[in-house]
Amino acid sequence: MGRQHHRIGVMFSTTGPYSVVARSMLNGALLAFREIAETGSAFSLEPVVVNPSGDLSRYRALSLALLGAGIRHVVGCYTSSSRKEVIPCFEKFDGLLWYPSHYEGFESSDNVIYTGASPNQHVLPLVDYLASRVGSRAFCVGSNYIWAWENNRIFREALTARGGVVVAERYLSVGDTEFDQVIAAILDQHPDFVFNNLIGTSAYAFFRAFRAACRVRGIDQATAIPVASCTLSEPELAEIGPEAVDGHLSSSVYFSSLKSPANDAFSGAYAKAFPDGPVSSADAEASHIAVKLLAAALEQAGTDDARAVRAAVANQRLFAPQGEVRIDPQTYHAWLTPRIARSGHDGQFEVLLEARSPVAPDPYLVQSSPRFAVAMRCPALRVVQS
Amino acid sequence: MTFRVLQNFKGGRAIIVARRNGWEVTLETTLIKLGVVSEYPEIVGGRVQIDAGALQPERDILFIDGDLEGVVAIGVDTASRLPPVPVIGLVGVEAPSRLKALVNLGATSFLRKPVHGGAVYTSLFMGVNQFLLRSEMYSRLQNLEERRRGRRDVVRAIILLMQSGLDEDAAYSQLRRESMRARQSLELYCEELLSRRARPPHSSCRTTSERLQGGSKRAM
Repeated sequence: MGRQHHRIGVMFSTTGPYSVVARSMLNGALLAFREIAETGSAFSLEPVVVNPSGDLSRYRALSLALLGAGIRHVVGCYTSSSRKEVIPCFEKFDGLLWYPSHYEGFESSDNVIYTGASPNQHVLPLVDYLASRVGSRAFCVGSNYIWAWENNRIFREALTARGGVVVAERYLSVGDTEFDQVIAAILDQHPDFVFNNLIGTSAYAFFRAFRAACRVRGIDQATAIPVASCTLSEPELAEIGPEAVDGHLSSSVYFSSLKSPANDAFSGAYAKAFPDGPVSSADAEASHIAVKLLAAALEQAGTDDARAVRAAVANQRLFAPQGEVRIDPQTYHAWLTPRIARSGHDGQFEVLLEARSPVAPDPYLVQSSPRFAVAMRCPALRVVQS
Repeated sequence: MTFRVLQNFKGGRAIIVARRNGWEVTLETTLIKLGVVSEYPEIVGGRVQIDAGALQPERDILFIDGDLEGVVAIGVDTASRLPPVPVIGLVGVEAPSRLKALVNLGATSFLRKPVHGGAVYTSLFMGVNQFLLRSEMYSRLQNLEERRRGRRDVVRAIILLMQSGLDEDAAYSQLRRESMRARQSLELYCEELLSRRARPPHSSCRTTSERLQGGSKRAM
């Protein structure tokens, strides 16, 4: 009997506004495929790589094409809007989407395995850090889609519960790089910190423009108004450039500067396999984990049937670059290790805090949010045009 | 007063009135993710066995299968049309008669059968919060009704003070000021004022604020 052969979809927008992170995710996934092939498992995996180019309609069309070609498992998506766009396809064809990125939670499709961080593993630890060590007045900026809306909502409720206040929220279209008005508003409010949910090219432009605007006014941005994110990763630091790369806070479950034999092996193999970059990131690690878990579940299930693989992945444990990772059998999200870090001039993160052990996923914040939503004050409106 | 949205259902108990055929597994497993445990009361002789007195609106949510006609007899308040706990209708046969039966049981949201996991949070969120919103609105309505009934006492109290030489505005201002000082509604303060004036000295028959605030006051 010959070895089983499974074709696995790999769907990342390696061109478009958030292509830098997506290319690192593709690299993380491809590295895992190579490693699996080298270990000589009972089956062979063939990655089928597609690129939706950041176009939502192409995500849906490509998902249908992959599933229609008999592929049952796809590792892919970075943005929540793209994930939500393709979930109905996976539910219709009973496929499994292996989603390898942090997200805002409040979702648990039976056709998705979530290997990135849940909100209790990224935004809530960040609120704790900021409220206890940085300040209580936040200015929120974000890309205008569900990730930023919901992550800001969770952030606002958690910060308000700790006595803090969000002085303003501003949203820009994905890919927008015009920040003059937003930066003027931030400098006018002079918050204790900025909470950033911009993604891709918008984020890089914002970091550069904000640093430059502060410098003109004699403000040391990194210490006076630091920017904190749940998205910022190493390949993005490279995109921001040397003038504005340092002093940014990031909450993540993985940083490439982590010191461990597993991470040394991963980082070394990644750098060797992809010398032209982009460098590895938390989302690259999550993609690597997704493929490794998929392979382990396929091996245990002995078939690529989605239900059998889903059952097999429950409670799978993996010694990943970030530490031990396992899939929670109730939510099909991952136990991960939250960390807070600050970026340095070298384009790497220095870890400031980390959880002692992996933290259970809580995608609906059942264990970590108040029973009632925080009552918001009525907005203080003023007439801007009559 | 700002309505507070309930968004975390941890500690909740779903009482699912349905015959177990397999479709309810998705509902149950999704509810677990939301921190809600499920119970299936027995249906004996066409009636579901629920202890209505033990239901707690802060904890319990009733999921009622509309295809089981007449198995649930819960006490829906005739005035407010509110059930004792939030009710979510499970809809199989989408017929007006069955939907009407669920509405009459006080259902504030619905879930189609077979249940899709992605619809449960929305349905629970809407069902519970609409129940809370309607409860709060009814409470406000009752309060306004009570005050409306008390307006006659306000008019009488103003006339009483005007008989001592005050004009209408001054009489009203004095009553309002004194009611605020007494931390009572204007209507209640006026009722007690009139009661004190009308009462023979040393009478033990008092109108108490407790009775009024308990909501049992009726039009004179």
